[in-house]
Amino acid sequence: MQTKDLRRLLDVLRDTDVSELTLETGEYKLTLKRGFGAPQAVLAPAAPHLPAATPLVFAEPAAAPAPAQPAEAPAAERLVDVVAPIVGTFYAAPSPEAPPFVRVGERVKPGTVLCIIEAMKLMNEIEAETAGVVREVLVDNGQPVEYGQVLFRIEPD
Amino acid sequence: MFRKILIANRGEIALRVVRAARELGVQSVVVYSQADESSLPVLLADEAVCIGPAPAAQSYLNVRNILAAALVTGAEAIHPGYGFLAENAEFATKCEEHNLVFIGPRPDNIARIGDKSSARALAQEAGVPVTPGSGALADLAEAKAFAEEIGFPLILKASAGGGGRGMRVVQSHADLERQFVNAQEEARAAFGNPELYVEKYIEEPKHIEVQVFGDGEGEVVQLFERDCSIQRRYQKLLEEGPSTLDDGLRERIAEAAVRLAKHIAYRGAGTCEFLVDKQGAFYFSEMNTRIQVEHPVTEMITGTDLVQEQIKVAAGQPLSWRQEDLRTSGHAIEVRINAEDPEHDFRPMAGTITDVHWPGGPGVRVDSHVYAGYRIPPNYDSLLAKIIAWGPTREEAIRRMERSLRETVIEGVKTTIPFHLRVLDNAFFRRGQVYTNFIARRMSS
Repeated sequence: MQTKDLRRLLDVLRDTDVSELTLETGEYKLTLKRGFGAPQAVLAPAAPHLPAATPLVFAEPAAAPAPAQPAEAPAAERLVDVVAPIVGTFYAAPSPEAPPFVRVGERVKPGTVLCIIEAMKLMNEIEAETAGVVREVLVDNGQPVEYGQVLFRIEPD
Repeated sequence: MFRKILIANRGEIALRVVRAARELGVQSVVVYSQADESSLPVLLADEAVCIGPAPAAQSYLNVRNILAAALVTGAEAIHPGYGFLAENAEFATKCEEHNLVFIGPRPDNIARIGDKSSARALAQEAGVPVTPGSGALADLAEAKAFAEEIGFPLILKASAGGGGRGMRVVQSHADLERQFVNAQEEARAAFGNPELYVEKYIEEPKHIEVQVFGDGEGEVVQLFERDCSIQRRYQKLLEEGPSTLDDGLRERIAEAAVRLAKHIAYRGAGTCEFLVDKQGAFYFSEMNTRIQVEHPVTEMITGTDLVQEQIKVAAGQPLSWRQEDLRTSGHAIEVRINAEDPEHDFRPMAGTITDVHWPGGPGVRVDSHVYAGYRIPPNYDSLLAKIIAWGPTREEAIRRMERSLRETVIEGVKTTIPFHLRVLDNAFFRRGQVYTNFIARRMSS
């Protein structure tokens, strides 16, 4: 890992409410903590080796199939990622005038439609597979999404 | 010219297209699988879109995600590279249906010349020689009649065949009776279909291929030939150009290739492959409707950029050269550096490249997507790099390639470099006495 990568990670840490981040690769294990006595959080490692120079259209690189550690994580922080199964355009609502399918704080259950991804002029409804509460919506209406991109984080029941 | 193109491939060829696009002032979008997230083309392209998990069927062959990635990024054209979807007429058609330009031949070109038997028929229409063959044989008597007409040696092949099964070389009439039954039984067991056909068997042929370029309107130029005789199980390992054939024969083969490409008003880059026997007779074997791995050989001896030309022609520009503009200068050799263990039957090796150092100096070109720390995914082919050496003569190109391979350091996996050094040192290779059985006959120690 290079200094600029570390700086980026620190930036990410500062800009979010994550207080602890552990990154483990074949070569090293890195743990970053912020403040004292804050609630603990574990983030699945994103790809830290992408040079900052690469201009990506997408908000974030597709997370590698993350060996997340839900077992050790505190129950309240066991967020489940909902990822894009196809490439396309993200729509939060069924039509431009309609309210979004889901908002942060809303309850969903398996089968609840979360969003639409338009691909090849077909509207594909993306459904929740977990019962719980939507904690984060990570993409904006009309934004292109790639395979594996995290769209929502749901706190399961 | 296009503003933005999408590259539906990976590895060194994806990088090659990124480079060509950048030099043309065209933005590039690379699509990639999760296994290639930190690969060089992904890092160097203007944009990158993940289209699926590691298995190619779900990513590099995932037509829907590739087309969606082109549409959401606003790409106007798709370069398919080689392999994957490069010779898939259906994919080319789908691109057109979505108003995306397929950087390659028209779908009908791909379909007609891509199919073996239809390609053979087209070649005959165009007056291009094909190996004398029988068509499906009803029985042994028909095979015997054919043998009377053509003479030996012959090769029996299964109609449903592939991979060498059901194939038998036949040297005499006595041999034919026995081998016919054997081949039938083998074909029945392997393919559930005992049907055979028979062709003239070309002993110790050279594999010569001609690079052609068409504008799709009937204009076709040829960019001379490459000798790709050094193969292992139909896998090319070392290519060079021009060939050591005499100039008259070289011209006749090139003219045949142009006739065939003109006959179908071919568009874009293509390669016509021929088998050339020791008497100087040549036979069309197939046409590849894409850019090829070994295209840098041609670029080095003609001073052209074939990938840029593909993009230009796809954008509707006329061909950059007339035939009389094209000539060769010197000799070029390309070796494929694969992550394989030549000591153990070329077993492919996945792993991490811990250190890499490429050769340099005059006349040397390296096309590679590999860097120190790069992890070779186990999901795709084992090609790590192509090293191309140019010299004013064949002898100088060989020495330059030897020098280059000795400068090259790749640590972490075994590679084909030691094997290539042995080929370059081989006396038959040095004399240009190279046929498709070279590795089996001259390199098995």
